[in-house]
Formats: sequence, C-alpha cells, structure tokens
Amino acid sequence: MNTPYEILEVATDATDAEIKQAYLRKVKDNPPDRDQERFQRIHGAYTSIKDEKSRLSYALFTIPAADFDELLDQALHTTQAPQVGPEHFKQLLRAGLGETMPVNAMPHAQKS
Amino acid sequence: MNEIIIGIDLGTTNSEVAIVGQGKVRVIADGDKKILPSFVGIDDHGNILVGETAKNQYLVYPERTVKSIKRLMGQNIQIDLAGQSYAPQEISAIILKRLKAIAEKDLGQPVGKAVITVPAYFSDVQRQATREAGEIAGLEVVRMINEPTAAALAYGASQAEAKRMLVYDLGGGTFDVSVVNIQAGVVEVLSSHGDNHLGGDDFDQQIIEHLLRHLQNTYHVDARAHSKAMARITRAAENAKILLSDQPYAQIEEEYLLEHDGSAIHLSLELSRLEYEAMIEDYINATLDAVHIALKGAKLTAADIDEVILVGGSTRTPCIRERLFSEFGFEPHGEVDPDLCVAMGAAIQAAMIGGQQVDTVLVDVTPYTYGTSAIGTLNGEFYPFMFVPVIHKNSVLPSRKTDAFMTSHDGQEFVDVSIYQGEDPDALNNTLIGEFRVEGLRDVSAGNVITLTLDLDLNGILHVSAQEKATGLEKSIVIKNALSRFESAALDTARQRITSLFGHLESNPDELGEPEPFEAPAAAPEIEAARNAMARAESLFEQVSDSDKEDMVDLIGTITACIKANDIEGLKEPVDQLNDIIYYLES
Repeated sequence: MNTPYEILEVATDATDAEIKQAYLRKVKDNPPDRDQERFQRIHGAYTSIKDEKSRLSYALFTIPAADFDELLDQALHTTQAPQVGPEHFKQLLRAGLGETMPVNAMPHAQKS
Repeated sequence: MNEIIIGIDLGTTNSEVAIVGQGKVRVIADGDKKILPSFVGIDDHGNILVGETAKNQYLVYPERTVKSIKRLMGQNIQIDLAGQSYAPQEISAIILKRLKAIAEKDLGQPVGKAVITVPAYFSDVQRQATREAGEIAGLEVVRMINEPTAAALAYGASQAEAKRMLVYDLGGGTFDVSVVNIQAGVVEVLSSHGDNHLGGDDFDQQIIEHLLRHLQNTYHVDARAHSKAMARITRAAENAKILLSDQPYAQIEEEYLLEHDGSAIHLSLELSRLEYEAMIEDYINATLDAVHIALKGAKLTAADIDEVILVGGSTRTPCIRERLFSEFGFEPHGEVDPDLCVAMGAAIQAAMIGGQQVDTVLVDVTPYTYGTSAIGTLNGEFYPFMFVPVIHKNSVLPSRKTDAFMTSHDGQEFVDVSIYQGEDPDALNNTLIGEFRVEGLRDVSAGNVITLTLDLDLNGILHVSAQEKATGLEKSIVIKNALSRFESAALDTARQRITSLFGHLESNPDELGEPEPFEAPAAAPEIEAARNAMARAESLFEQVSDSDKEDMVDLIGTITACIKANDIEGLKEPVDQLNDIIYYLES
C-alpha cells in the first residue's frame, strides 16, 4: 500500500503549502466525477498529512509504520513529557491490539 | 460530438436553464426572457400554464395556480391544482419540462440529461424528490450540485489567483452559505451551512401579515378568507419589498380589495424601509449566525475571506449588504447576475461531466452529519438512543465510512438500524431518514460484530449497508423515503400523466422538429387589456348583485372565446361593455 506521501508525490519533509499544491494538482487530474475511488484515495492521503498535527498523528498511529519501541525510547529520553491525551492513548491502545476497526458502541436492539 | 447536458437552476421563485457552447456559458432565453417564474397553473380550458402566464393567473385564480413548490419538495403531501391533486415532484416536473423544451427549441435537438442545482442544505429526501422530478420530466439527472457551489463555479472558473470566497445565497425559499477555496483550477468547498426554509418568501410573509393587521385594525376585517384578496395582498407585498430595495418608502395601493358590510375596502398604506428592515431583522440575524457556523466549519475567520459573493434575488435587500460589509469590511460582489449565476455554474458542471474541456474541477462537501443510534450514554446517563455520527458535517463528497457495532443480547436474531441526519447527541432530536433490519444473525452470545457502512455519493444521496462481520450477511438500502409513492412504476405513471397535461397545449413536446410555441406568443395589447378587464371584473364578483354578475360572466365568456380564436376585432365590443359595467360598479 502506498503512503500518503507516495500518493501525492511529495517529499516526507514537504511543507503544508507544497502538500496542498500537490493535492490540488492531483485533484485537477483526477476529478471526483471521473474516478471516485481514486479521488477518495487522494483526498484521504491529503487529510492524513495536510498539517503538522495530522502528520504527527500519521507518523505515530498508523499501523504498521509506527515503531512503538522506538517511540517509547524517544518518549523516555526526551526531557519534555510526551503529549499523549486520552484520545491518542485510546488509539495507541487499539493500534497495539492490532484492531483496525474502532468498536465503540452497540446498536439499539429490540428484545426478540 | 459531445453529448448535450443542460444546467438547470430550479428555484423557489424563478428557474433558469443554461448551457456551455463554444467554450462560453449562456443562459438560454425563452423569447427575450431568461428567467422563468416557478409558477404552474391550469387555465380555463384545462391547458397547463408555466412561468409568466401562470404567475399572472395567480392573481385571478389562486386556486388553479401553484407557486413556491420547492418549499414542499420531499414532503409526502398532495397539492390541489384545479381539482386534481399532484405530488410536489410532479409540479416541479412541469417546470423542468418547460425548461427542457426551452433548451430544445434553442438548440434544435432533443435534450435528455441535466445537471440540476439544489440548495446545499437540502436534505437527502429533498434531493431524492428533485431527482424524481427530473425523471418525471423525462430528464436523466446526471448530477445534482449545490447552489452556492454552482455560483462559486460560475465566479471561480475565470479566477487565476488563489482566493477564499464566502458565498451568501438567499433565494425565495432557502438560505445557504458556503466557504470556498479557489486555487489552481480547483473549486474546493470547505464548509456549508444553511436553512432550507428561509428566504424571500418569509420576507413577503412579514409584509403580508403587516398588511393583514392593518386591515384588521382599520376595517375590522380578516382578509385571509378571501383567496383573491390574499393573492393581491401577496403580490402587493412582494412589489413593496422589491421597491424598498431601491427606495426608502413604498406606497401600497390596492383598490376594491374586498367587500365588508356592504362597502368596498381599499388598501392604502405606506411602508418605510426602516419598518420593513425591523420586520425581517430576525431572519437576517439567523443568516449571519449561519455565516459564522460556516466559517467555523472551515476553521477560518472573517479576516481570512477575500471575497463575498451574493447569490439569489433576496440579496438585493440593502440591509443584507450593509450587514455583510460590517462583518467583512468590504463590499460583497454581485457582478454575475445573482439570478443567473447558479444556472451558469450548473452548465459548467454539466459540460465537465459531458466530457468538454473545462478548466475547473469541483470538490464539494456535505452540510449534514449522518449517523446511527446505539445504546450508550447521554449526559453521563444510560441512554438507548445515543447518536453515533458516522459521516461528519463538511466531509468531502463522495464519502464512505464504516463503523462497527455489537449486538447487545445473547442469541440476538436481528438488529434494527436507524439512520439519522443531524448534530444532536440524542438521536431522537435528529431527523430520522431511514430504518432497516438485518435479520438471520448467527445464534451467538452478545458482541456479534455488525459493520455499518454509509456511502454519501456526489449528489449528496446516502447509500447505507450493514453486514454481519463473521458471515458477510448483508442488507443495504438507498435512503429513499420520498420514494414511497414513487417506485419506478409510479414514476412512469407520473411521467405519462404530466406529458398528457402538456398534450393539451403542445402537439408533442418530446418530438422535435417543429417545436410548438409554448405559450401564446406575446399577447396583443387588446388581449392584454381584455385580460385586465376580466381580472378586474372577477375581483368585483363578491360585491355585485347576481344579475350584474351574470352579465359579467357572459361577457367574460365571450371575451375568452375571442381570445382563443385570436379575434381581436370581436374583442372590442364585449370588453367595452365589461369596462362600462366595472366603471358603473366602482363609481
């Protein structure tokens, strides 16, 4: 599977503006009207790396790209405490469990 | 040769049809009129009237005329028109059929496909109804696009530099606001918000109520029971509103409006712009709240917006421009005719779908959150109808999201899935748009995983499927509550019914070659005068003696026959006689 960087054909250190430009170029060549799935892939790639926050989240929580041992090492060796909020912790936990589908609620069911 | 796809703006008060030809967008005129009033009526002989003629008839025969049908789209109701009942889709189809015929006449060839615009804030049901209207009219609706987006396309197609625009679209019945980024040939909608029951009609209604109060206070008469008087009051209110766009005062004069206790009541009242603006202030405030919600949805502030685009006839109201000016600090734009730019955008999108070389690509979003209900918590308490959003507001179209759920009982044989549209954490406060049951589940303990997939297509129509994960047992639906009356057989019936209505007037509107003139060609001044006299006479019916009325009815019959036979000479005598009677009655 291609990484968002490969889909948009941008360097891993590209700036927000470069990523936006690349995204618009791709959309121009692949309008949603022509090939919806292709467009969704492009848009998905864009939303996952469009700004600092999403790139960090992509790097941290995307399976299997994240190396948790290394992340843990990093966390233990940086002076600043890692910024992992409850939301991220849940995602981290899920990623650790290898569960790609968040199971978050039960449907309302009538007693039969 | 490319296939012809027309672009249609099917508005609450006015409709237009446009096309891209030789690289240029053009709104197609019917005669010299580019705007077709969205009025449908039936005349004395059972002929169907669409547009200007129906709008004129509204004054005399409100019971045989329908206006603002768009406000009822998606509702499961029947509209009475000259004793027959019609679904809102059928009335809209009549307007679409006329627009189709206008385009066919201009292009000299049949047209079978269209891009139709809908308010961004139109719900799933309203979109389905619009598509059905197209089908009844014999048009395949290849795409529905949002009105503010279409306007942005019309403006943005020529933009070279990157721009962020806010489109403020206030029409006759609906309000939309969209934040749009135009850059590198891509028109990208960042957020949309709106209200699908707010528009110029509400402004008219405020004036109408003001006039009714005036009549009540001055003459102690309730005009609501008099349908003809109401039609005149409605027109007077609309005219006053339009006047107040340019002038500080409007004088409302309706003589012989109705009779009360044996005396004729004349409506005469001056309305100032200030009074009017006070009446509509709440509505304007609501639109500005929506502007802020849209900005927030795009994660922008007013300072990030480079241009404000005004769309829809109601944006001619001066206080709207003033309020937007004070909000954004610059004048909003209205260079492209606010009545026409939506149809132009639809034509651009139509050309793109039809394979023509167009340098603008459109990326739109949904203004609604879609989700389901599940057992969960609400405000920290156990609650069986917790709303679980699946596709969030302002998601890019098309959008496909899957979520997983579990059964709650051991040996549960089925799950009932409800799909809601809205933002409230309590699903019951949102709009239920569809329900279905997945049955025949495995006999296992609670925790059987069911995946739910919501797929929102480019038209903003939702497709839903649910699957038992372990077995692949699947159930899927397209949300189509509006279709209850309109399964495809019913659509065919409706199509024939509407076509036969047109058959009264046009030899065969679907066969090309020699398109018939659609309405009586521009009426001779004598005919115009005769119609006025008849309208005047009929407005007096309620207050004249039976013998006078009988004379008038006879004369009207003679005049109508002359008009039908186009006998201008023969008109003179009965019209003169009728005018004499009117003069006698009114003096």
